[in-house]
Amino acid sequence: MFVDFFYMLRDKGVPVTPTSFLTLHKALQTGLVVSLDDFYTASRSILVKSERYFDLFDQIFAHTFQGAELPEVEAFEIDEVARALLEQWLQNPKEMAEALGVDESELSRLSPEELLAYFRERLKEQTEEHHGGSKWIGTGGTSPVGHSGHHPGGMRVGGMSRNKSAVKVAMERRYKDYSRSGPLTQAMVGEALKRLRNMVPAGPKDQVDVDESIYQTMKNAGEIEIVFQRSLKDRLKVILAIDNGGWSMDPYIPVVQTLFDYARSQFKELKIFFYHNTIYDALWEDPQRYRQPVLVRELSRYDPETRLILVGDASMAPYELMATDGSIYISERSGKPSIEQLRHLAESFPHNAWLNPVPEHQWHYTYTIKAIRGIFPMFELSLDGLESAVAHLMSRN
Amino acid sequence: MENEAAARFTGASHYVLDDELAKIVNISMALEMPLLLKGEPGTGKTMLAHAIAENLRMPLIVLNVKSSMKLVEALYQYDTLTRLNDSRFGDSSRDVSQIEEYIKMGKIGQAFTSEVRSVLLIDEIDKADTDFQDDMLDVLDQMEFDIIEIDKTVRTVRRPVIVITSNAKKDLSDPFLGRCNFHHIAFPDPKMMRKIVRVHFPDIDAALLENAIGTFYRLRELDAIEKKPATRELINWIRALKADPDFRPKTLSKGDVPYMGVLFKKSGDYERAASTLQRRRVF
Repeated sequence: MFVDFFYMLRDKGVPVTPTSFLTLHKALQTGLVVSLDDFYTASRSILVKSERYFDLFDQIFAHTFQGAELPEVEAFEIDEVARALLEQWLQNPKEMAEALGVDESELSRLSPEELLAYFRERLKEQTEEHHGGSKWIGTGGTSPVGHSGHHPGGMRVGGMSRNKSAVKVAMERRYKDYSRSGPLTQAMVGEALKRLRNMVPAGPKDQVDVDESIYQTMKNAGEIEIVFQRSLKDRLKVILAIDNGGWSMDPYIPVVQTLFDYARSQFKELKIFFYHNTIYDALWEDPQRYRQPVLVRELSRYDPETRLILVGDASMAPYELMATDGSIYISERSGKPSIEQLRHLAESFPHNAWLNPVPEHQWHYTYTIKAIRGIFPMFELSLDGLESAVAHLMSRN
Repeated sequence: MENEAAARFTGASHYVLDDELAKIVNISMALEMPLLLKGEPGTGKTMLAHAIAENLRMPLIVLNVKSSMKLVEALYQYDTLTRLNDSRFGDSSRDVSQIEEYIKMGKIGQAFTSEVRSVLLIDEIDKADTDFQDDMLDVLDQMEFDIIEIDKTVRTVRRPVIVITSNAKKDLSDPFLGRCNFHHIAFPDPKMMRKIVRVHFPDIDAALLENAIGTFYRLRELDAIEKKPATRELINWIRALKADPDFRPKTLSKGDVPYMGVLFKKSGDYERAASTLQRRRVF
């Protein structure tokens, strides 16, 4: 049973194991699963082991058990708007009916599914005729509430009530925020960076392990045996260099801010520097990049075991990276092209990574991104990217 | 026995349960699989285990996982110190030559040996390292463990209902996940939160409830807060507001937030929230 469903989940990238699939069948035999709703709940809790896949699961579930479309971008947008319209309708059927130019009583006979389909049809007409310009489509999307509306047919949308089909629940896509592609939150950054911690026993064995001492002494039938341990120390040093200049990084300020805030509270030995677009002779300790320059060649005095993390969109005019006098600031021109300085940094700190807030699929459009990728391993500034960057930074121990 | 097998979990007096979660609990119990709960702090993960225990009238055994914990501590302890003491002074009724008398059961051991079916809550599993997690799942899977000192195997008398919680955003290891059922509890929406608050304060004033919850969700949306206030903070905060005779719900709608220290526990967060509110009031 449901073999197709199982393979569909696997194909679309939800890691489901055959064992859990068998467990699901066991669950079906317990007699607790009597409806599609139960099946939805049971299959999700048994098959899917991370909330990051809940959203994908919801979509596949809806697709399999109702033949709902797997979203193509355009169709999906229409779906979203249609749903917003439905919510609007549930709140205020009269106004909507007027806006659509139809009779309220005619629409109220439709079931929610039919209503959705109806709205979708209407929207398709709209986009074809006006190319998305129509006002009433847009206003539907900003509807702030909608969980407590009424429908003449008796259905409720959202809220805690489950008086609706599992497919409907699945189609709400409640877990969109948790999916892997979602925006990076502070807690996520913290979780990913936590793995950069590198607690190792260091220094002389100078701490008495009281518990172990007592245990060993007792095992010795009372003959005193004192056990010493080394203390745990985080010896990892991190240099974080952030591109904080220019409009090109502006859209990414919140996400970089998050990273920055968290990094500061996570590491004992953390140096933060700033630069604009790329690095020339110096990095700056102050965010204004004005008062406290630190020359790149001075950095090579740091421990080569230090992890170097650069954050920036790596997008600039090619000459800024390649030309000997590339810097857009006159005072920074020194005769060495920036790309040389970057190479020098990469050689000084073999454990390095470049985090780029620009989505990975756009990287090949920008020449300088390609050039910098040749020097630093580049990772997307998303949860996945951050995790692989951390794995990469820790791997060559 | 019949009755117990048919026992269904439906909710408890101080816990607002949603249907979905109730179903998952029931299925996990039927399958005799541990239930792994994830979700941000304050979504009631720990409370769920208390609610199950209360509802099904089972004793609750809590294992609070610590980072330095070894698996054997959760299973049993060989109390060598008492044994040495007894052997030196010999003033107890215990037989010093019987090591078994000095074996104390840890939390998992207690759950295994309990004569009645119990609820075993393993709280914050993510604190321990991966080896601990995998080894523990082995024990829970086989429902038995060995006591090396006396060469004895402890088997479960009644299989406990196992609830495991994790705060971590990262995933636990695959073999671990493979043996659990999983649920992620999302942070309650305002509607659910109203229900939760009403459970705790049945006679709460409607204006206070609305204003407090409105303010609470606004404060949760502030940027760059490290530890967002959660359900527990909200309930304590409302308690504080109710206790203050001078407090009027209107103050909240004006943008004043008294007792902010109840909501924000990190000094950095407190300052950031305070300054943001200050700024908002000016504009």
